[in-house]
Amino acid sequence: MLIENMKMALSALRANKMRSFLTMLGIIIGIGSVIAITSVGDTMRKMFSDIYQDVGVTQGYISISYRIEEVRDSDYFTMDEMESYKEVFGDRLAYIDSGNSVTGEIVTDITKKNFYFYGVDYNYIDVQPVNIVYGRYLNEGDILARKPNCVIDRASAEELYGSAGAAVGRTFRITVYGNVTEFNIIGVFEKEQSAFTALMTGSSANGEAYIPWTLLTWPNDYIYQCHFFADPDMSAAELEQFNEDFAAYVAKTKNREPEDFYIVTAQSEMSTVDSMLSGVAAAVAGIAAISLLVGGIGIMNIMLVSVTERTREIGTRKALGATTRDIMIQFLTESAVLSAIGGIIGIGLAAGLVSILGAIFSLPVVIKPYVVLMAVGFSAMVGIFFGIYPARKAAQRDPIIALRYE
Amino acid sequence: MSELIRLEDLVKIYNTGSLRVLGLNKINLSINKGEFVSIMGHSGSGKSTLMNILGCLDTPTLGRYYLDGTDVAGMSPDELSRIRNKKIGFVFQSFNLISRMTILKNVEVPLTYARVRPSERRRRALELLELVGLSSRIDHQPNELSGGQRQRVAIARALANDPPLILADEPTGNLDSQTSIEIMELFARLHQNGATVVVVTHEENIAAYTDRIITFNDGRLISDRINIAPTALSDTAGALGGRMS
Repeated sequence: MLIENMKMALSALRANKMRSFLTMLGIIIGIGSVIAITSVGDTMRKMFSDIYQDVGVTQGYISISYRIEEVRDSDYFTMDEMESYKEVFGDRLAYIDSGNSVTGEIVTDITKKNFYFYGVDYNYIDVQPVNIVYGRYLNEGDILARKPNCVIDRASAEELYGSAGAAVGRTFRITVYGNVTEFNIIGVFEKEQSAFTALMTGSSANGEAYIPWTLLTWPNDYIYQCHFFADPDMSAAELEQFNEDFAAYVAKTKNREPEDFYIVTAQSEMSTVDSMLSGVAAAVAGIAAISLLVGGIGIMNIMLVSVTERTREIGTRKALGATTRDIMIQFLTESAVLSAIGGIIGIGLAAGLVSILGAIFSLPVVIKPYVVLMAVGFSAMVGIFFGIYPARKAAQRDPIIALRYE
Repeated sequence: MSELIRLEDLVKIYNTGSLRVLGLNKINLSINKGEFVSIMGHSGSGKSTLMNILGCLDTPTLGRYYLDGTDVAGMSPDELSRIRNKKIGFVFQSFNLISRMTILKNVEVPLTYARVRPSERRRRALELLELVGLSSRIDHQPNELSGGQRQRVAIARALANDPPLILADEPTGNLDSQTSIEIMELFARLHQNGATVVVVTHEENIAAYTDRIITFNDGRLISDRINIAPTALSDTAGALGGRMS
């Protein structure tokens, strides 16, 4: 009987193709925009999560809060303190440095280029994996001896020296904390990045280079902040606990309250982005509700017209034995099918649109199946809800009057 | 012969605002199974009111109506729907076929509401369309057929659930005289094969086909007579008779 009713509904809708399509338009636009914006939201969420994955989700910085007016000497960090954190937190603290960097220009016979020189420890490669394409990475000896050795990124190496191989062994001079220092290039690296990260950072005009972080602390050894990575295998809850514990420990050793230290982590930034996207999603849901309401009213309107037009048919069906319920279900099926088809077309259009946008910006687009299912279900529900009044009107027609209707 | 229809002191009063109109005034009537009856009268005579009540589309204000042994006077609208589906085959003046469905599907409609299986519905509809001589047109839409053909589809539809009563309301009202003859001869054949047919008409020559003519005026039954010499059937209409089940 249901299949019967669906066939009947489809033939009724086919009989008025243009009208059916125009009626669906409200639902098409409503569902289409929901799917499109949801998909954009999900794609952005994926993008941020990929970027943080590349950057390192367990990464964070801790420093004395900017709200503290009287900063004591002890509020700064020393290398010994940082060493002691490693001992206290063991495997939970995977990496720590000062997070300092300097900029400078490398000049060669061919060209010159601005660089960011990041001060890192020898095990930075464990938390921020890179491929060494030529030469070697910084080792423990370089760090301890504060050797002016340096690894640079492949693209810059090729730009400055013609090839990655040609770069290794070269030297250059830059000013570090007021002193001109001569650096040796000991290796060339290449980063593996997600499409999103490449999109966000790929066009940077500056080169990247890693130098021993010990060069960026000396001579005064007073470090303003700690840059750290927690164990990357931690769960979100464990990570949150670690960040809390770490701040508490640092504060305790410096006779401060935990809130006196300002800790910023990738995790907390991600949750900020997440809540921002959730806010966008809520706004979209509101807009969608309004457009579906408008679409639903359109369906109700056209169903009322249809019921009036088909008064004779209703009378005939009743004379032939249709019960109130039979007529009601017939018209409800029709409005549900009308609305669901609108929903499906809307999904198709949205999927097409975001795929085209994805292709243009070469982004992997995310369309979640459950969102699609929900949209179809919801549009059918809109159809049923707004079909109830017209269907009741049809079902309650007096067959005698309906049969005489001209 | 057993009784199919029995009306006892049937009264129908219409309330039209402040005005109360007496539609039918104490009608007593009995129609047996297998009869071929016409109900005549001018417009406003009460014949249409009677037709609606006989067809279970309307209920009487007072009195009793026994259809096939059941008192249907006090039934609810949905109970009446089921009675109409099983017991009554309607043929209307303006055919009332559903326009966007094929004639096969049109004939299947009463079977659908009787919850007959699709394969059985199709089998039965094909059989009926063959009976009325339209088996070559089963996939046509009603608007591709002539008036006479449409009325034959409607008759096939009326027969779908093999109802004890065929109720035709001015079945030739929209047809030319030649087609009217064909349709009346079809009813006559159905009657010959045992069907009970009640035709509501205002035309003498249509009523002349039936065996019994009941006349209404001002809501009263004024005459109920046997038609001694019904219009003879032409030879050309004979082919249908043998195929009735």
